[in-house]
Amino acid sequence: MERRDLPEARRGFSRASFPGRRAALGAALAVGVLAPLSAQAAAPAACTALQEKYPDWKGKTLVNAINPHTPGYETIDPKDPSKYIGFDIDLGEAIGECLGFKLTYKPVTFAALLTTLAAGQADIVISDIYATKERAKAADFITYSKVYDGVLVAKGNPKGINGINISMCGAAAAENTGYVEVPLIQALAAECKKAGKPEPTIQLYDNNANCIQAILAGRADTYVNDVNTVDSAVKAYPDKLEKAIAVTIPYSVGIAVPKDKPKFRDAVLAALIEVQKAGTHMELLKKHGLDVNNFKEPDILTAD
Amino acid sequence: MSLFLHYLSLPYLLEGIELTLEVTALGLGGGLILGLILAGMQLSRFWVLAAIARAYTVIFRGTPLILQMVFAYDALPHIGIKLPAVLAAGLALACNEAPFIAETLRAGVFGVDRGQVSAGQALGMTPRVLMWRVIAPQAIRTMIPAFGNEAVSALKNSSLASVIAVQELTLRSTQLASSTFDFFSIFFASGLLYLVLTTAISGIQLFIEWLLDLDRAKGRKRSFADYLPWRRVELATSIADAPACQAEPAQALAAEPLRTLSREARAKRAATIARNNVAVEVTDLAKSYNGQKVLDGLNLTVRVGEVIALLGPSGSGKSTLLRCINHLENWEAGAVRVGGRRLGLNEDGKVLSPRAIANERATVGVGMVFQQFNLFAHLTAKENVAGPLRWVHGMTRIDADRRANELLDRVGLSHRADALPRHLSGGQQQRVAIARALAPNPSVLLLDEPTSALDPELVNEVLEVIRRLAIDDGLTMIISTHQVRFADEVADRVAFLSGGAILEEGPAHEVLTNPRHPLTARFLSVMETDKVPEAVR
Repeated sequence: MERRDLPEARRGFSRASFPGRRAALGAALAVGVLAPLSAQAAAPAACTALQEKYPDWKGKTLVNAINPHTPGYETIDPKDPSKYIGFDIDLGEAIGECLGFKLTYKPVTFAALLTTLAAGQADIVISDIYATKERAKAADFITYSKVYDGVLVAKGNPKGINGINISMCGAAAAENTGYVEVPLIQALAAECKKAGKPEPTIQLYDNNANCIQAILAGRADTYVNDVNTVDSAVKAYPDKLEKAIAVTIPYSVGIAVPKDKPKFRDAVLAALIEVQKAGTHMELLKKHGLDVNNFKEPDILTAD
Repeated sequence: MSLFLHYLSLPYLLEGIELTLEVTALGLGGGLILGLILAGMQLSRFWVLAAIARAYTVIFRGTPLILQMVFAYDALPHIGIKLPAVLAAGLALACNEAPFIAETLRAGVFGVDRGQVSAGQALGMTPRVLMWRVIAPQAIRTMIPAFGNEAVSALKNSSLASVIAVQELTLRSTQLASSTFDFFSIFFASGLLYLVLTTAISGIQLFIEWLLDLDRAKGRKRSFADYLPWRRVELATSIADAPACQAEPAQALAAEPLRTLSREARAKRAATIARNNVAVEVTDLAKSYNGQKVLDGLNLTVRVGEVIALLGPSGSGKSTLLRCINHLENWEAGAVRVGGRRLGLNEDGKVLSPRAIANERATVGVGMVFQQFNLFAHLTAKENVAGPLRWVHGMTRIDADRRANELLDRVGLSHRADALPRHLSGGQQQRVAIARALAPNPSVLLLDEPTSALDPELVNEVLEVIRRLAIDDGLTMIISTHQVRFADEVADRVAFLSGGAILEEGPAHEVLTNPRHPLTARFLSVMETDKVPEAVR
């Protein structure tokens, strides 16, 4: 049954998944047509060595669970909705290319990303998910990006919100179920009480689009999320939305892998290091219009 | 608007419909199979099965579908069952639909008149034949609108499969909205696509209703267009009532001169009957409903060819006695023998299974005519007679039809052979019921107040048929009735029941003209509408 939607997705990503010998020809063509992308390929020699060291995933097709509602990171391609596009998609394919596996995609709600991984319905999660100690109980993370959040508000910022602080007291914040911003905003309750102000309320939605709609419809006053997501929302509705401020969040973005597969985790880490060494990571940030300051050397985050 | 049209025709969304339909089909198909099993368990005689089905219904009807979807997708893999997303969604939807479908099925089965079930049992139908030939065809017709509902709701519920990564219409719409920010154009387009699908289901529902309409099947003028909502055709009655008024051919039941027997003839008949074998023997029969005694040590012997009239006030046990003779009821003590056999009991006196009782009824041959006619409402007059002959007695269609035509002719209804019961008058229906009961050549015919539910002007046509059976055919009959004069004319013997026992019995004319028991006398005098029987000529 599932086979039906996979070939479409695969077709979309064939660029990154030529089998071995044809890759050379593909790369040669790409130099002419897609010059800026040529930097994407990680050093072939290093990757060949990795494929020898970690042969288990070579030639396999793995399932990447994503929450494709984050423009810039992962969405479907509006021009060809059978494809997924974004930084995370390209990064995953680059890692896969280095280790010799292909990726297909399984779109789920944000809150279901790690459950899907734990249930074995997916092999890896590369979906702009922040690596926290709490989440590391469900999966191991390979971190790859720093986090800057933007505070999205209605044009003119009528409530004068200027960060995750007491300016949010009494405001309605739209958030995605399972996002790390939820506890941060909830934690304001005590501070607001001390200041004699009402607590902020949180409206939980399933995806970005619904959070943004909540502000457009006047139901919510703010939506705090990755700064690039906030920027693209402002770009889509320049007359109605604005970014109040950018804040730093004490987390990193991570690739989630099953806890019971440390070898796979190590392989992905090694491949990511090669992809960064080859400059691919930086290229991809630029290609998707993301802030290069997001770049981060990889680390492992586990529960213990 | 152009964006809306763009998304409406976007292949990406249209392809999502395919998965939406796949999940819906799995859910409905699986739900129907599971629902049939559940309904069967709940209707079963075995309480353990019913209890299990109940528990299932409580759980799966009482928890949200979205949880069931997530469970099928994310929890089952932990016990080694890793279904693809579409199958997991289909499984969850099927498990969720099943209790709703089962309840619809149960309602449909309960909706079929219990009297028809009794009539089927009395004709010797096994539970399977009864379900397949009588209950299901009627239940299905009443259940179609409810099934239409279920189909539409299953289609809409399939959108919940989006939470477990099935790339159906809703999931595609939300993903598209996230990547393009064209929130409203996309959701209007997807809403319209859903509307097209649900409208198609409504159309299919109306078509099936039309297809199964009994009036259409009988070649009457009802077109599919009559089912469209803006047509104000009264589907239940308009056509139905018209033919009932059709004049009956004059010769159908020509009133022959009343053939009351003379005193001498009666004596001669009584002497003949006295030498005949015993047809029905009831000894010390006792039965109670909820602690209230309905039959209290009743004894009755009926000889072959004898006609017995049971008289007595309502609640005196007449109907119960008749139903016990046919073993449509169980009893606590005493015995009933028909043709020397204990109907419905094995040699040790244990009650047989419903199926075995049915087979025995068919072989022993006890026909029964009910107060409310109890014709099978979905079958024509002819099929009411011919059907049981084929299903119970294994007759060929040709033989059964021939027999049915012959009997309908005898009760003066050959011109109404193709009419549905609801198109017949009460008297006509009762005559068909008599023909149906006679068809398998029963050794005894039980008639339970055959004229009580009839308008006064229709009583005589039925009595005339019964009279002929008694006098011309010499059929053994036990009739419970309030028609005192009729009892006097037709019955050899009258038994007066009160409080579940026979107070007085004897030759009909004698009991009716000179009752010895004061209760009998009082009952007879109360039956004012039916004056004192005229003297024997």
